Parts: sequence; structure tokens; C-alpha cells
Amino acid sequence: MKEASPLPPRLPLRLFRAFCDPNLRIYIEGDLIELHQERVETLGKRKADLRFAWDVLLLFRPGIIRPLGFTPHLNHSAMYRNYFKIGFRNLLKYKTFSFINIFGLALAMSVSMLILMMLAEQTSSDQFHEKKDRIYRILSDHEGSRNQYATSPQPLAAELASYPSVEATTRLIPGIGGDAIFEDKTKGINGLFADPGFFRLFSFPLEYGDPASALTAPYSAIITKELATLLFRDESPLGKTIQLQDQRTRITDAKDSTQTVALDWGNFTVTGVIDRERYPSHLTFDILVSDSSMPSLITAGKLEDRREDWTYFFRTYTFALLQEGGSPEELNANLNDIVQRRAEEIKADHTKGFKMASQPLPDVALGIVNNDTSFRLPMFAYYFLIGLALAILASACLNYTNLSIARALTRAKEIGIRKVTGAFRKNLVAQFLSESVLTALLALAIASLLLLALIPFFKGLWVNQFLNLQLPFFPSLFLGFILLAVVVGLIAGIYPALFLSGYQPIKALKSLSETGGAGKLRLRKLLGVSQFVVSLFFITTSILIYNQFKHYMAFDYGFQSENIVNIQLQGLDYEKLRGEFERIPGVSTISACDIIPATGTNNNSQIRVLGEQSDYRSVGILHIDRNFPENLGIEMLAGSAFSANEQLAESQILVNEAMAKELGYPSADAMVGLQFESKWGGPLLTVAGVVKDFRYKLLLNEHAIAPLMLRYDPKQFQYVNVKIASPDLMQTLAELEGHWKKLDPVHSFSYQFLDEEIEATHRGLFDVVSILGFVSFLAIFIACLGLLGMTTYAAERKTKEVGIRKFLGADNFSITLLLSKGFLQMLALSIALGAPLSYFVNKLWLENLPNRVDFGLGTVLLGSLVLLALGVLTISSQTIRVARSKVADTLKVE
Amino acid sequence: MGQYQLGEFEELVLLTVGILYDEAYGVAIKNEMEQRLDRGVSVGALQTALQRLEKKGYLKSQEGAGTQERAGRPKRFYQLTAAGRNALAHSRETRESLWQAIPAAVWNLKTAQ
Repeated sequence: MKEASPLPPRLPLRLFRAFCDPNLRIYIEGDLIELHQERVETLGKRKADLRFAWDVLLLFRPGIIRPLGFTPHLNHSAMYRNYFKIGFRNLLKYKTFSFINIFGLALAMSVSMLILMMLAEQTSSDQFHEKKDRIYRILSDHEGSRNQYATSPQPLAAELASYPSVEATTRLIPGIGGDAIFEDKTKGINGLFADPGFFRLFSFPLEYGDPASALTAPYSAIITKELATLLFRDESPLGKTIQLQDQRTRITDAKDSTQTVALDWGNFTVTGVIDRERYPSHLTFDILVSDSSMPSLITAGKLEDRREDWTYFFRTYTFALLQEGGSPEELNANLNDIVQRRAEEIKADHTKGFKMASQPLPDVALGIVNNDTSFRLPMFAYYFLIGLALAILASACLNYTNLSIARALTRAKEIGIRKVTGAFRKNLVAQFLSESVLTALLALAIASLLLLALIPFFKGLWVNQFLNLQLPFFPSLFLGFILLAVVVGLIAGIYPALFLSGYQPIKALKSLSETGGAGKLRLRKLLGVSQFVVSLFFITTSILIYNQFKHYMAFDYGFQSENIVNIQLQGLDYEKLRGEFERIPGVSTISACDIIPATGTNNNSQIRVLGEQSDYRSVGILHIDRNFPENLGIEMLAGSAFSANEQLAESQILVNEAMAKELGYPSADAMVGLQFESKWGGPLLTVAGVVKDFRYKLLLNEHAIAPLMLRYDPKQFQYVNVKIASPDLMQTLAELEGHWKKLDPVHSFSYQFLDEEIEATHRGLFDVVSILGFVSFLAIFIACLGLLGMTTYAAERKTKEVGIRKFLGADNFSITLLLSKGFLQMLALSIALGAPLSYFVNKLWLENLPNRVDFGLGTVLLGSLVLLALGVLTISSQTIRVARSKVADTLKVE
Repeated sequence: MGQYQLGEFEELVLLTVGILYDEAYGVAIKNEMEQRLDRGVSVGALQTALQRLEKKGYLKSQEGAGTQERAGRPKRFYQLTAAGRNALAHSRETRESLWQAIPAAVWNLKTAQ
């Protein structure tokens, strides 16, 4: 061989040699090398190497691949049948072990199956759009944001449509939230403004109506089938007129004051009906209103005008349809081009480093960003869940591995005979693998039953009311489940298969001594210990999170929340309602506010001390009436409450202690009389009083209480807080509802108890506790099953020894100890390793949590005790049984 | 077609083996086909076809000498067998008769739609 002729790349060549039929190998290899030589000369080494690898890949086909097995023409079915027969007999013969294996695997698999179902449902949305591969959602981003925004500026859609790589665009604008009224029926709805381009991108089939024209005319609307049935019953919805009443939109006028009133938007003609249930999509709406209705609503002052506003990118969803063969890179280049050309118009404080990017429609289902259309589980949540499921699956697989190795002795003779009669090692591997797959498939059957019980549990979780997962069964899931079972079977069985098939036939047949059969003791212990370490970690973590949950529930918020009912105003006049409610005997105090403190919603304002040149500082703001502090038991530290004079009161504020501290005032009294100016104009604000700190943000979001100002502004009120003095809460509630009906017969009386509402903010955490608790239960249960299997086996093997010892005078206790010693050591080792691990890992994440509970050794100790108790219980259940058995019986065992 | 099962690609390979006469081995066949037919032929597709044709008895093969470009690996030369020639002839006749059977009107552009 010449020095100059370079050889083809090593790896593909080796791969080729590995799979090629030996009869053909050298000839084809010669061809390949010759071709490679030619190409090195014409195309260069790199390309030649690539082409070589590609050729090898293309050679991987029947006819070239080496025939499977050593005698491909024999019919093996009889042997495989034998494998399964022996497998079944083994399962039936050792019922305890089969039960432990199958049940453990089934538990673990049912959880994985649930996660598969969740993933399948979530990714099934938006699959029906014919052009889904060419549809992209436009995301916005600016400097310093944590996540991208699903929304983009409103004028973008029109601008983007003028680029040649884009076939069409559509924009969807939320902003419809209120009531749909038809004759005497009213239904609360949410909706989107959509342009006619909507149907050029999305293929929502219309039950009624024509997609081409449904969204063209002003004041036309497409409604969901659900809404149609509700409003029109069996009548055809097409051409019917519904009245829309806006409830939530806040209109900003010239001054910085916003107000909330029920606004009549007029009549809309139904031009189409979409069945949203049959066509799941990430877009959520009850109604789609034609885009062309917007101008007149804007002129009438019923809608904000953002049509030419490039700085406001928080409201509009823009979607683009690429030309056939267009690439997302082109689209991104177009978006960059727009950002550059519109730089002047985009410039604003909050749009520093503004940029836009495209997201393919299929990625939308799992790619959750800010302002998204619906609440879905993001990918990292799935990684977390999958991680949990894998931990449990691994534990169950370890059980199988462990028990199979431990019981190697029972199979040694069979292996010996098979080998003597001509079985190769790979045949035995195939046999043991087919057995483990069989076990996994049986586990799958039980797992399916468990899954049926698991689904209602999951649906009952608080978080699912947002996720809204129905968990339907997709046919493709069936394949996924089977695949899961097979993979689990292979993983669980691979080590025992390799281990058992490696026996020397002579040794296997001759010696049945301890050394030949007990398997690798050290390895088995290691596996067992790792199971318990993981279990301990789960137990400690769930106890910790439960403690945290309790800590939050018992937290001192700095205000009283008992017996206070928050009633939504829904556009009603506060003073009128108050006058009505005051007449009810059980009611003690009534106040009003715009948002309920400590329940997740916060507003901010930008203010600075009058006369200072420093930057405006951001402070929390809560709009309340005069009674609010008293009603919630918020203490005044200095100054006085809002003035009785309406006009004066509106220019007054109350601030909290934290504000005084942040501004550097030594005492609360010094703050009184201080004047602030707002960044957004409006009257100067004078501090009338200082209140004691209370929690107005979620405990999860804020560690220390931040500065807050309380303003008196009746236009802002959204909720009435009614304190009920009478012991019969339900009676008073009924009366409140009765009085509500008098003033507002249309809207239903909507109330919530303040303490319940605050408790509800921690429901998410409770879900985490439930899930983790369930997972730790499974982990410890499976680990104990494994331990049970091992002790049972050890006890059985030592039956005779126990008999002799007892005969010679040993007492029950010493025998129990003798049998348990090894396992107790294992447990002790697990705790020695697991306790510090769970302490430090939990410490790590807890550091970042606001308002954390004390996490000391107590929690770890409690977790260890639980583990120890369960472990000892498992071990002793077997060892005591054997130790107490009668000598005569044990000695008879052969 | 009954007794002569022949795919389109297989037929092309057979013909090319015929053209190359006693120089028909893997790379030569591939190059000849690519040149004459102006299409890419992967080693995988070609080798599978060759194996299949040999199994059907249309080709026979013998080992040749190795060369330096092949790092000493021997060539495998293919030759048409009698059955192979018959199969080709049969395929040609079948086509011929099909061509004959098309009515002349089809070729008349004016009447064709």
C-alpha cells in the first residue's frame, strides 16, 4: 500500500464490517474503498469521508446485513415457545417473587404511563392545521426579561405580510371579556379579535358558516359550539344577533385614572361556529370577533387604540405563514429588518434591546412563554416529572435485577443442562430477556388497572383546573405503553441475563454450594442501599415541603382574614351596594378595594419624594376605601386615616413601615405630611398616615415586605369586603345574595371568603406535596418490596441452619438477629449515606425560597425514622416467622 | 411476466452488466450506470440488486484479483447467465408488444386531450 492513499474513515468501516454478511464483505469493502479513493481525488478527503459514511448507511438493508443467528433457516418458534413456557412456570412456581416483581414494576409503570398520557394530550393540540409546518408564532423579547413574550406589537402583522417569504399573517387580539347576551340568556365569555387571515393559516373547520367571509364584516362573530348550544339550544346559530357587554376592559383616558364599568359593545352577528372540543388548540376563546369591528369600538372609546403602537407588545398574538419552501431563518431575518426599520417607533423605556423571533407552531404546545394564550405545563415540568418517574422505574428494575441474581441458584441446574445440550450464551441471554419482558408485559396489564385509579387522583389536583387535561386515550399511546413495557423488561433483565448465562456448566451442575449460587452479594447490597437512599431523599423532601406548606398556612399576614367575604362588584356602584348591605343585621363592617392582598395580583406605581431628583421608585399600590384598614385590622402607627372630605382624601395616601424604612425615615411620625409625585402625573400625594406592615404579595414571591402605598380611589374598586359578625355565616351570605339580586338581577352573586382565598394560593404547593408524597410512597414501597424479597429468600435458605441452631439451644431472639443482621446493616448504611445527602440537597433549593420554614436535622431524623421503621418491619416479618418455626418442621426441609 | 420476475432497477443492472461484458464489477457497474442514465446509484441499492439477481440465477459471479486502489480487496465480477439473457429478452418483448398495442390515435397530438 502506498503512503499517499488515505484510508476511509475508521468508524463507518467498522460499522460496515459489523453488520455485513461475511460472504460479501471483502468485495463490497473493496468497492467502497475504490470509490473512496476516486472521491478523495475528485471531491477532497472530507467530502469523500462523508459520502463513504452515507454509502455505509445505505448498505444497511436486508440482503446485505448478515443473517441473524447462526443457522438462519431453522424454525426457532418451538424454542421461543419453550422460553415462554419455562418463564410462565417460573412465575407460577415462585409466587411471592413474581408478585413482588410484577407489582413493583406495575406501580412504577403506571406513573410513567400517566406522564405519557399527559404528554400525548398536550402535544395533540393544533395537529389538525393543514399548514401547521409552515405556521410560526412571533415572539418578542427585550433586554432583561426572563422569558420571551408570546405577544408582539399590533402593527406587526400587516408589516410582516409585505415580505416575499411570508405568504400570509394573522393577528389575534385578546380584550374581549364580559357577557354574551341573547334574549334572556347570559353567559360570561372571553374572546379574541381575529382578521380574515385567521383561516388562511389555521384550519379550524366551521360547523356552520363560511370561513372565507365569516370574519370580514364588522360586528360579526364566530362562537364555539359550547356557547352556541347554551345560547340558542337547538336553533341554528347562523345570523343570530348576540349582545356583548364588556366587563373587564380598562380604558385609559388622558389622565392617569382608569375606571371599570360594564360597557355595552353592541350587537354582533354570528357568522360561524367552531367545535373547540374536537379540535384542541393552544388558542383559547369562546368567541372570535372580526377585526374590522375594532375601529368603531375604538372611536366610541370602548377599546384601547394600539393599532399603530410599536412599543406595546403585550397584547397581540401574531402568526405568520411561510411561503412553500420558505425557511424560518428568512422569517427571523425579516423580523430583524422590521426591528431595525422601526427602531424610532419602537424606542421606549421598556423596549431596550427589543427583538423578535419565530416559533414553529408544533413547538408551541410545549414551549410556554410569557403572556401565553393558555396555561400549559412547560417542558421543564415534564423533565421533572419524567425524572421522578425514572427514579421509581429504576427502583423497580433494581428489584427485578436484585431478586433474579439472588435466586440464581434456583436456575443454575437449568442453565447447566441447557448449556450441555448445546445452548450458546446468547441463546440463554435471549431466554432470560424474554422472561423479563414477559414479566414486564404482565406488569403492564396490572399497571393499566392502576392507571384507571390514578387518573381521577390526577384530575382532582388543584393545578389541573388550569391545565384542564382530560387524559383521553389515543391509539398511539397503546404502542407507547407496549414499548415502555418492553424497554423496562429489557433493562430490568439485562444484567441477570448476562450474569446467569455466564455460568460454567460443570460448576452449575456440580456444586450447589453457597459460593456457587448466592450471586454477587456486594453488588446486591449496593443496589439495595441505593434504593433506600433515593427513598429517604424523597421522604425527607416531602416532609419538608409539607412543613413548608403548613408554615405558609399558619403564616401571620399582618391582617385578619376570618369571616370576611369578598364580593365582586362586577361594575356595580360601590356606595349603592354598601347602602344595601348595611341594612343586613349580621354585617359588621364593609370596605372596598381593587385587588385582594396576598392572593397573587399586585399593582405597582412609580413615585418619588417631591423635590428630589432621584429616580422614581417602584412601590406596590392598593386602592382602598376609608374602612379598609379597620376592617382587616391593619394597625395605624402614625398620622390619621383618609380625610372625610372626598376631594382631599383622593390626594392622600397611607404608606407602610417598609416605605418609611426604605426612604430612611427614623420614625413613622416623620413620614406624615410628606409629599410624593407620581411618574404618570396626577395630583401630588400627601402621606396622611403610616400603617403597620402587612403582606400584600404572595409569600412565595416575596421574602421581606416591600414598600406599599394605599390610595383612596372609589373609581378603582373591584371588590367589597364584608365582615360578618353573626355566627351564622351561611344565613348572612344568603341575605347578602338576596340584596345583591335586588340591585343586579343579571350577574350572579360572586363571593369568596378571604381566608379561603389566601389558603388557596398555597394549593399549588399542596399539589407538589401530594405528588412528591405519592412518589415517595411508591419509592419506599418498591424498596420495601425488594427488601421483602431478599429477606424471604435468605430466610428460606437458612431454614435448616435455623433448625440446627434451635436444636442446639439458640433462642428466638438471637436467631432473628442473626438473620436480620445483614439487612439491618444495609439499612443503617442507607441512612448514613442518605440523610446527609437529603439534608444538603434540600438545603440547596430551600435557600432560594422566600419565607422558608426551619429545616433542621429534625426533618431528616423523622424521615430516617420512617424509613427505619418500615425497613425493620419488612425484615422482621420474615425473620421472626422463620425463627419461631418448629424445629421438627425446619429440619425436615430438603 | 410469470417466470421472469424483474424490477425496473434490476433490469437496468442486468443490462449494464451485459454492456460491461467481462469488466462488470461493483464500481464499474455503478459508474457506467451513473454515466449512461444520469442518475445516482448507491452502493447499497446496487449490491442488493446484484445479490438478488444472483439468487434468481440471472447473474453468476467469480472472484477477480485485488488492486492497489482497493487496498488489496478482490473484485467480484458478474456475468449474465442464460436465464438472465432470457429474462432481458422476455422483458423487451413484453414491452414491444405493449407498445404495438397502443392505438395510433394516442400519438396523434391533435386528438389527444
